[in-house]
Amino acid sequence: MTPDDLIHATTTFALLVLSLALALTVWRIRRGPSLADRVLGLDMLVAIAIGFIATIAIRTGFNLYIDIAIALGLVGFLATVAFARFILARGLSPERPQTAPATTGARQPKHGKARQAARRKRRGER
Amino acid sequence: MKHLNILLAMTVVWSAMTGSLSPLNLLLGVAVSALSLWLVREQVDATASKVRPLRFLLLCGLFFRELALSAIKVAVLVVQPKMRLKPGIFAFPLSLTRDFEITLLANLITLTPGTLSVDVSADRRLLYVHALDCSDPAAAKRDIANGFERRIREAFPL
Amino acid sequence: MEAMMGAEPVGMAVAVIVIVLLVAGSLFSLLAALGLVRFPDVYTRMHSASKAGTIGSGLLLLAAGIHALDGAILLRAIAGFFFFLLTAPVAAHLLAKAAHQAGERLHPVSVIDQMPQDKTGSAG
Repeated sequence: MTPDDLIHATTTFALLVLSLALALTVWRIRRGPSLADRVLGLDMLVAIAIGFIATIAIRTGFNLYIDIAIALGLVGFLATVAFARFILARGLSPERPQTAPATTGARQPKHGKARQAARRKRRGER
Repeated sequence: MKHLNILLAMTVVWSAMTGSLSPLNLLLGVAVSALSLWLVREQVDATASKVRPLRFLLLCGLFFRELALSAIKVAVLVVQPKMRLKPGIFAFPLSLTRDFEITLLANLITLTPGTLSVDVSADRRLLYVHALDCSDPAAAKRDIANGFERRIREAFPL
Repeated sequence: MEAMMGAEPVGMAVAVIVIVLLVAGSLFSLLAALGLVRFPDVYTRMHSASKAGTIGSGLLLLAAGIHALDGAILLRAIAGFFFFLLTAPVAAHLLAKAAHQAGERLHPVSVIDQMPQDKTGSAG
């Protein structure tokens, strides 16, 4: 077995493992439960896509893919930052009520208006 | 003076990224660096700060070691069939004052095992840190103060 | 440009390094995704995505850079790796801050939350 064959076999393994990771991440994005979880899932999706591109660069020997991976990293970071700003501006729409842990700081219930808007949005989706 | 240093560093990065050291490419690098530096001129802090090179390298070494450790620790935690988590957010009292020091500390904390910096209070005296194991916040605070915070202060003396 | 195709065969030493990096990188990515599924709330999930995820994609990128057997490309891959390392904590902490300010609660197993949530500035 030549080194090239070994590397080729390993890229197949890596692609399989990355596909599994991609499936798990997509499950998390589908599941939610809040917008922040989905944004985090998208961030992870970009990271896995970078891994995919790097693996394919090794498999095909086409090194220009590395530049594409770096560019995707840049765009992915900006997208996550933009989504975080969006959450700051709009707020979340929690689908699963949770009980708060012991706190020292005061917690305030969400704005009535914002909650209503969130519910309206959800109803529109389903 | 500091702007010149930044310009130089950016040009080096440019030639590394483009993979060529020809005079024309270096000239283009200087032009692009100058343009981007000019765009953010309001945000760049022009006051030069002292750096101890050896201490700075030590800080970098610490950073990579902690990063590797933290990735492995999270990976091990994930595959355990029953995760024992005691997460929580604690407030870490900052003794660093300058913006770039706080930024550096926050980034270092995020990449250490089990801790993630969430926010800085408006008066820059408290750093809110989320920890996977928050059963003993006092010990965690002590670790950060004696580890990263001390190293940063040593690397960048006032 | 000859940098387009890495046609020359690689030596055994390089092959071993590339294989180790490939396996480690893909496994870290998988564990990060698994953490995304298994951890109880958004803050703990962030730990998994920002550490294991970054290391995973970074190692795969390094593997590609080493496999190219070209100094310029390796340098580019290392620069990209550093870039991911610098941006991942920034993205994670911005997202955590946004989630906390928007009212995302910690999971009930959490023991303490010293961060006040009723801040006026929603930072426009």
